[in-house]
Amino acid sequence: MMTIDRKRSRTAALPTAMLAALGAFAAAACGDELVVPDFNNPGLEELQNNPTRAAVLNAAQGLLISSRAQISSANGYVSLLGILGRESYNFDGSDPRFVTEMLAGAGLNASSPAFGGNLWTVRYNSIRTANVVINALDGLSDNDMSPAEKAAVRGFARTLQALDFLEIINTRDTNGAVIDVDRPASEPAGPIVSRDAVFDHIESLLDQANSDLAAAGASFPFSLGAGYSGFNTPVTFSEFNRGLAARVAVYRGNYGEALTALGQSFLDTSAPLDLGVYHTFSTGSGDTQNGLAASPDILAHPSLDDDAQMNASMELDARFTEKLEVLAAPETQQGISTDVGFLLYSGLGDPIPIIKNEELILLRAEALLGLNMPEDAADDINFIRVNSGGLDPIANLGTQSADAILDELLYNKRYSLLFEGGHRWIDMRRYGKLDELPLASTGHRVHERFPVPEAECLEQTGGETGICSAGS
Amino acid sequence: MQFPEAPGMGSVGVDDLRGGKPRYRHLNTQAEGTLMRRIAMLVFALFLSGGVSVLHAQDRQLTGRVTAGETGAGIAGVAVSVRGTTATTFTNDDGSFTFRVPNRTVTLVVAVIGYRTQELSVPVGQQTVQIELDVDALALDELVVTGAATAMSRQVLANAVSTVSDEELDRAPAATIEHSLQGKVAGAVIDGNSGAPGGGVQVRLRGVSTINGVSEPLYVVDGVSMSNAAIPSNQNAVTRAGAGSNASNNQDAVVNRIADLNPEEIQSIEILKGASAAAIYGSQAANGVVIITTKRGQVGRPRFNLTQRFGVFDLSNTLGFRQWETFDEVAAFFLDPSESTAADTAAMADLYGSGQAFQHEELLAGRNDLSYETNLSVSGGNEATRYYVSGLVKNDEGVIDNTGVSKEALRVNLDQRLGERFNLQVNTGLTHSVANRGLTNNDNSGTSFYMVFPFTPNFVDLRERADGTFPANPFERSNPLQTASLIVNDENVWRFTAAGNLTTNVVTRPQHELSFILGGGVDWFNQENDLFFPPSLQFEPLDGQPGTRLEGQANNLNANISANAVYTFRPEGASWSSTTSGGYSHLDQDLEIVRVEARSLTGGENQIDAGTNIQVFDNRQRTKVEGVFVQEELLLLEDRLLLTAAMRADRNSNNADPTDFFYYPKAAASFRFIEPSSWLDHLKLRAAYGESGNPPLFGQKFTPLDASTNIGGLPGLVVVGTTGADDLKIERQREIETGFDATMFGARASLEVTYYKKFVSDLLLSRSRAPSTGFTTEFFNGGKLETQGIEVALAATPVRGPINWTTRATFFKDASEVTELPVPSFRTGGFGTALGAFQIEEGASATQIVADISEGDSSFVATVGDANPDFKLGWVNDIDIGGFNVYFLWDWQQGGELINLTKLLYDFGGNTADYDTDPQFVERIGPVEIMDTLTLGERRVTGFGVETRPYIEDASYLKLREASLSYTLPEDLVQGMWGTGVDRIRLTLSGRNLLTFTDYTGLDPEVSNFGNQPIARNIDVAPFPPSRSFWLSVDVNF
Repeated sequence: MMTIDRKRSRTAALPTAMLAALGAFAAAACGDELVVPDFNNPGLEELQNNPTRAAVLNAAQGLLISSRAQISSANGYVSLLGILGRESYNFDGSDPRFVTEMLAGAGLNASSPAFGGNLWTVRYNSIRTANVVINALDGLSDNDMSPAEKAAVRGFARTLQALDFLEIINTRDTNGAVIDVDRPASEPAGPIVSRDAVFDHIESLLDQANSDLAAAGASFPFSLGAGYSGFNTPVTFSEFNRGLAARVAVYRGNYGEALTALGQSFLDTSAPLDLGVYHTFSTGSGDTQNGLAASPDILAHPSLDDDAQMNASMELDARFTEKLEVLAAPETQQGISTDVGFLLYSGLGDPIPIIKNEELILLRAEALLGLNMPEDAADDINFIRVNSGGLDPIANLGTQSADAILDELLYNKRYSLLFEGGHRWIDMRRYGKLDELPLASTGHRVHERFPVPEAECLEQTGGETGICSAGS
Repeated sequence: MQFPEAPGMGSVGVDDLRGGKPRYRHLNTQAEGTLMRRIAMLVFALFLSGGVSVLHAQDRQLTGRVTAGETGAGIAGVAVSVRGTTATTFTNDDGSFTFRVPNRTVTLVVAVIGYRTQELSVPVGQQTVQIELDVDALALDELVVTGAATAMSRQVLANAVSTVSDEELDRAPAATIEHSLQGKVAGAVIDGNSGAPGGGVQVRLRGVSTINGVSEPLYVVDGVSMSNAAIPSNQNAVTRAGAGSNASNNQDAVVNRIADLNPEEIQSIEILKGASAAAIYGSQAANGVVIITTKRGQVGRPRFNLTQRFGVFDLSNTLGFRQWETFDEVAAFFLDPSESTAADTAAMADLYGSGQAFQHEELLAGRNDLSYETNLSVSGGNEATRYYVSGLVKNDEGVIDNTGVSKEALRVNLDQRLGERFNLQVNTGLTHSVANRGLTNNDNSGTSFYMVFPFTPNFVDLRERADGTFPANPFERSNPLQTASLIVNDENVWRFTAAGNLTTNVVTRPQHELSFILGGGVDWFNQENDLFFPPSLQFEPLDGQPGTRLEGQANNLNANISANAVYTFRPEGASWSSTTSGGYSHLDQDLEIVRVEARSLTGGENQIDAGTNIQVFDNRQRTKVEGVFVQEELLLLEDRLLLTAAMRADRNSNNADPTDFFYYPKAAASFRFIEPSSWLDHLKLRAAYGESGNPPLFGQKFTPLDASTNIGGLPGLVVVGTTGADDLKIERQREIETGFDATMFGARASLEVTYYKKFVSDLLLSRSRAPSTGFTTEFFNGGKLETQGIEVALAATPVRGPINWTTRATFFKDASEVTELPVPSFRTGGFGTALGAFQIEEGASATQIVADISEGDSSFVATVGDANPDFKLGWVNDIDIGGFNVYFLWDWQQGGELINLTKLLYDFGGNTADYDTDPQFVERIGPVEIMDTLTLGERRVTGFGVETRPYIEDASYLKLREASLSYTLPEDLVQGMWGTGVDRIRLTLSGRNLLTFTDYTGLDPEVSNFGNQPIARNIDVAPFPPSRSFWLSVDVNF
């Protein structure tokens, strides 16, 4: 108890004490304790503005994850392109658009994020991730990361970025795409440019990456995982880079460049045909599972059974028997049926090829054919027929017409690269042969390309131009 | 007619001691270094000031008795206090009291809940006093919260605040507290999300306040901010409901956790419906504030209250099935003539058998097992220490096998006087519940009960076989009877709340009263979801991973600290008084959810580590709010005029700049005309203005990288596509409210009419980015929304005497409009326009429903309805006749539309009860009637994708929510049989949701597949079926 004059203190001391106490609260309210971090995710700005070696390397490894996004999902790259190229069906009863939009209809719908508007956003997420990694390198001192290590990271990131751009232009084709994307997060998007400009950009990225890799020393400062087994040093990774460059060159009809690139790639007729780089999956927590294995609704196109060749012993193309099975009873959805199912991707952890030796050999055949060297092309085609398909070589293939050789080449690409990322659809489009793909029903058609998604179009053009419409 | 002066505002003591509502309310706290220092300073200030005491002059002894005006019987537990002192006593069982009061003319304040408060002047020398109190049947004198630490008589209040007392709450047993508020509060739309036992109810106060923000009111229980988080069970891992075109995992039939409150423990609920009343809650008050006060001890001997209830739940509605008349009809529908073989036909014929129709819904949900509830409470104490202890054990058996809720609750509330100037309150509550909720709502895996029935014709026998196994359902991937029997979907919740308040009355003199109130409390819960799907289920092996075990652990801690001061100045002889209050509060909400999904269980073990495919997820959200406020309440002209002004400043960690203060002003005025005409006792005009905020959701301000994924065990960071704005901040709500209150016919009737309008600006919106930037979504503030409405509350006691009849009615309606939208119109909720969706569009109602419709040959998207009801009306009647009481509550909703996708599913399955109904008349050409060529169901299915209107239905309903008939045994009979130890025995027959009248063709117009939603409620997808409940109760007071 205080023994001060109570009468005076009541009127003066009390309000003072009260105000002092409240004032103390207000004064101490500098607010630092109100700062709550994002407990669930690291911040993008932190990585951009204050990069650390560990964070940059984690983001580099992140590219393995972002480049795998929506590859194996039921409406991902492999599945949707497989449907368009009549390699596969998806008989998901709860979503009729696997038939109504993908196989029939006026065209793919730019406003359906799971279908016509798909396979764009996740690729640009990944491209942004690559730019974040590349830009963050500038914030690291040479002590944090040596110039050789930085070159290794840059070479890796640019190669995977080129792969993302390639998958974008494979789906959009003549609709074009955006390549000016290394802008601050707050800025609007860059313009949509032509297919050729996108291919130029991809080639440039791959070439820059290859130069980076040449300066990258003996090893990467991070792990590339099981999918890059055999390609996980700058030297071997460069062979993967050249493989992609060869694919791009063939797509562009630059066959000479393609042969040069193939010469620097991992093409090796004495190596296993499935040697290559893969997207890997697993059931580990936080990992992605191969969605193509999980879905019972994904089935193969019946024409694969009809068209598969046999050898002299009346044995079916080994690629058919390894990858496909004839079902006991046909499955039907919306009046379409098939009796062929996939053996491919039977496990949730089965990998999906990005590029493999078998494709490189077929790319070489294609380049040789394009350079009017049919005999050499035929040798490669027969090599794959025999070694991959268990078929008999076609005698005098090299003397047949260019069209006949091309058809045989396309047959082999179809079965060798079956359901690995839209090769059938892309190849048939390149040669103007989409009308040769089998249609299950009148009213069906083969869509030629994906539109630019609605969200992109609205910002880019107000949605007015043809590239944004449902047109295929 | 003389109106008593309102009890002294701001003083803490009288009403507080008599076991009523404490007058101080506060927000919150946390315990961190700087804060602790500040609190220490405040405590120091408290003690410093507490040391300054007022010595008493000579006292005198006053004795008296308080009786009920009508019966003359003594009233126990009445608080008798002397205005301007801390002296308070309580009447004993016969209403008498003895009291030392100052030896001067004193003003006695005599108050108890249920009676009109009375004040009387006792001159020097008077030794005895007789006081008669009038019954306050219409609750005219109740105290209503006006600030963080102040309350005021309803007589002078400048806002329309709804209060619901304990007597109004527990007329019929309710699963959760929100159920017992249905139909009783003007301005509150309270709708269940399904019939699932254990809760899942949305309370919306005054219509739409936000589009993307939090839409739940703030719940404050005994001063502690109580979490109403709704945490999904993650049944989605099996139902895959989110794998379709709406990825929301709120489709798990989620319980919002205010369900943990035990209604029996609640003394009263006050509802501040909008910003004009709730501005001092600042950034948490955008959706109103529900202030809940638990019961407290009353002075006197221990009074026990035992309630024992037994009851049953009974399926109250079914959808029925299409009746198949012949096998030809079955074959025509299920067999495709071009594809099917003779074997197919034979197999189908085998399934059809004799064509016996099984009532699958009744087989699933026809259970009527006995439910029970036991509640025992004891209250008592003396003037120094009072206690209230309550225990609950209950078990509700759901209508579906293996569903239901068991719950136990314990509450201990203590009041302790510490010397003359300190008063300590400690409130603790512990609850435990286990809810088994079956498997309902949307799915994409053919597992949810009512997702399977649409595709299962009623000739299929799904019943358990003699050997205990179940037949496989040949038409879908699961047999609901097997699923209900074998799955585990348990939600196990422990919840602990504790709150303490230390009040010191620093100055208590006739002219000056000053008190400090220091409060703190925690609200903690753990929600554990255990889900098990054994491999023996028909659907389990289908993904190649037999057996699924899911585990969810959610922990939430709300920590509150507050410090408030209240100063009341009442000049001697003046006709006015002033109450000034101010305070500080801090709230820290921390929620972490960890989930594990284990699939492909080795040996089918019910064990997470038996899984061969195990996935782990973690999410943590934390929000801190800190605020200060000042408030001035001036009561002028002999309590006729009230002027209030207040300002709250707070900052919220979810804002982009957490250190930035936002200011929320409030001003209100009311004026009373006393006896303006012979029949009008009292007319009050009032107007109020206030502002509040709705903060961004946790995480919206960040531009994150995803660190939760890996590839083959290699960690990686990736861009995920959302960006937050640097200036992201609260939505701002400005509300005006005006109206009048009238008391008529000698306090026999009261009428309250209110108009309000809310202006919401800086809406939290998301805008889509061009995805080539690598980002898809950006959160920002923009746009405006307005909501206005009227509320009417009428109460009357038309008959009083041997028969007492009290009737109350509430009527309200509201409408919203999006007045400015800086982004293109966008859809929120739903599954796309073919299935009905909500569209936010400038100039339109925020709750409008759009869908595909066709006219002529063209099909387009158009507005087809609005989820918001046209109006709601609640009507309560309470009639006492002798020992009998009859009570019933009607709840009427007019208008509003629902999207009935359950019916769409039944149509897809060709299984709707009316599917085969004869073709409809289309038009008459001359004498010829043109008939549709299709049956009703065929017509609806044919329109799918172009004509959605058949599935947009009127949600109007009239429900008999509560009804009871009770009989209180005559006192002489009770005492003859049990002696004087027993005060009262009452027998009650009661029921809930006994009758429903509606044109809605679904199970129940109260439905929301997505749970509680700001906008997109009213979507019906395979809900848990509704039930009514009947109860027999015995209440014993001793």
